[in-house]
Amino acid sequence: MSRIRRFTLAQRLFHLLLMLSFMTQAATGLGRMYIETKWGSLVASFFGGYELSLTIHKWVGLFMLSLLGAHIIYVLATIEWRGFPRRLLGPDSLLPHKDDLKQALGHLGWMLGLAPLPRLDRWTYWEKFDYWAVFWGLFILGGTGLLLFNPVASSRLLPGWGLNVTLWVHRIEAALAMAHIFVIHFFIGHLRRENFPMDLVMFEGSVDRAKLSHERPAWVERLQREGRLEDLQTLPKPFPWRAAYYIFGYAAMIACLFLFVGALAYSRLVTW
Amino acid sequence: MIRIGCRGCLSWCLLVAVGLGFFFWPPEATAQEEVASALRRYKDREASTGYYEEYEVRPRRQRPLVGVPGVARGSFPYSPSAAAVRITTRLADSHRGVQFYYNRRCQDCHPQQARDYHTTRGKLTCRQCHGGEPIASIQHYYSPLNPIRRHAYVCAKCHQGASTSFASYVVHEPSPAALETRRSFPVLFYAFWIMVALAGGTFLVFLPHTVLWGLRELLARRRKHGE
Ligand code: HEC
Ligand code: HEC
Ligand code: HEC
Repeated sequence: MSRIRRFTLAQRLFHLLLMLSFMTQAATGLGRMYIETKWGSLVASFFGGYELSLTIHKWVGLFMLSLLGAHIIYVLATIEWRGFPRRLLGPDSLLPHKDDLKQALGHLGWMLGLAPLPRLDRWTYWEKFDYWAVFWGLFILGGTGLLLFNPVASSRLLPGWGLNVTLWVHRIEAALAMAHIFVIHFFIGHLRRENFPMDLVMFEGSVDRAKLSHERPAWVERLQREGRLEDLQTLPKPFPWRAAYYIFGYAAMIACLFLFVGALAYSRLVTW
Repeated sequence: MIRIGCRGCLSWCLLVAVGLGFFFWPPEATAQEEVASALRRYKDREASTGYYEEYEVRPRRQRPLVGVPGVARGSFPYSPSAAAVRITTRLADSHRGVQFYYNRRCQDCHPQQARDYHTTRGKLTCRQCHGGEPIASIQHYYSPLNPIRRHAYVCAKCHQGASTSFASYVVHEPSPAALETRRSFPVLFYAFWIMVALAGGTFLVFLPHTVLWGLRELLARRRKHGE
């Protein structure tokens, strides 16, 4: 069973740290927002209560922003600068491309049974959307979060009533981000039939070759044509690792669903 | 490539330094700034030369609200003697003449005001901001919550260094979704609905996309690996 490497160790580490900090932010933020309810105070109690939750939320928020900074440096360092924009416009880039629209429509056609599966390349349109959504989310949440970090200091930059606006923007963007991750990202990544019970690629780093040629035929062909396919072959991780990935992944997913369902169920009891 | 990495690193360090500067910059003594109306604060109180007309210390972004909205503009300016009419937002004791005031809780008569962040989450009592008896109208000249001095007399008790700008935070925030907020706090209203539209739009695209996709894979006759 041969496997193709898809994510490097650094990329998987970024994903792991982003995932852990995102979950911490979701839990501490929701715990505070729902503090008037039993469920909210339960969630906050895992983080030492209402006030400590905010402290954790603030520092983990700064950590996420430094993660964003590290990622930008990482991207600048890994971009192929020779013949500069050429590689950025190609299929190995995460920048949106006009083919993405075609593939999205083709995929929709396939869902409706009107067209064959589009021949996807290395990055699909929904993966590009997820990637850029993190940027957009971190800019909005990080920007408003920095302003809320110290309201007295930031009211020197904006009028105090801006804090009312800032908090609401922060809340709604956070709700959007959580709902997107907890519903759409989890479903596409792990729960749909092709990937069920869990797609380990982001933990293990590699995909089964047969699955890859079905899922991303254009990429596999391109690698074969360029003779790079052999370089990317790896062996599967030993069983204890895979077991740990499953346990960790499911623990994370269950924790997130607990947050999502609780937040929906208790939303009527909060004084908005 | 390494040189590029260094340049990236340098600009990142610069960014971090600017960010840290924002948090650790020594605060100005904003709580001590005194705000005077550009209009008539000293004119009202002092029959002096008018030398104090403008400011003692220049206010920052907030102009204090001294005029009576809708009542007295231009040729009929507000002054204690001219306002013999009972203007409910200008009373020294806002509950003067209000029946059954004593032995009632504030929430009984002001349920909307009890929904604010400070009361529901910060567990403050109304009097921690509004003070003891008598509770002045917000815009009463000597009210501690008059925007002229609200930052120093009230907010700074708990928020050290509160400025007039900080004090313009709307404590009793109107519901951002409500239509009347479009008039009373338009920025909040529009920011709220723009964000809701953004979130709603994302889901309008991705929810049906995801559901359809899930159904399609569920109904496919068999997995097509290796085809
Ligand atoms: C019996 C009902 C009642 C109770 C109890 C009551 N209020 Fe009021 N309050 C009123 C009414 C009525 C007005 C409006 C007065 C007017 O229009 O002349 C008012 C006005 C005010 C205002 C001025 C609003 C403005 O526009 O400036 C403030 C501030 C206020 N109340 C605070 C409080 C606080 C704090 C408490 C609790 C200590 C309290 N009230 C308890 C009925 C009540
Ligand atoms: C953090 C300080 C603070 C607390 C606590 C507080 N208020 Fe206020 N209140 C204000 C300020 C500031 C205003 C001026 C308008 C604004 O910012 O919303 C105000 C305005 C009011 C008004 C005038 C109408 C309005 O909404 O503008 C009423 C009535 C009132 N408060 C009642 C209450 C009652 C009742 C409570 C307790 C449940 C309470 N306040 C708690 C600061 C406070
Ligand atoms: C008696 C103490 C006290 C007074 C007086 C007070 N506050 Fe607060 N304020 C608090 C506490 C406590 C919190 C934190 C509440 C929380 O975290 O739930 C807070 C939080 C805030 C926040 C942050 C809310 C957010 O969105 O993160 C703002 C802004 C604020 N207060 C503005 C004001 C203004 C403006 C005034 C003056 C009108 C004022 N406060 C007066 C105690 C006070």
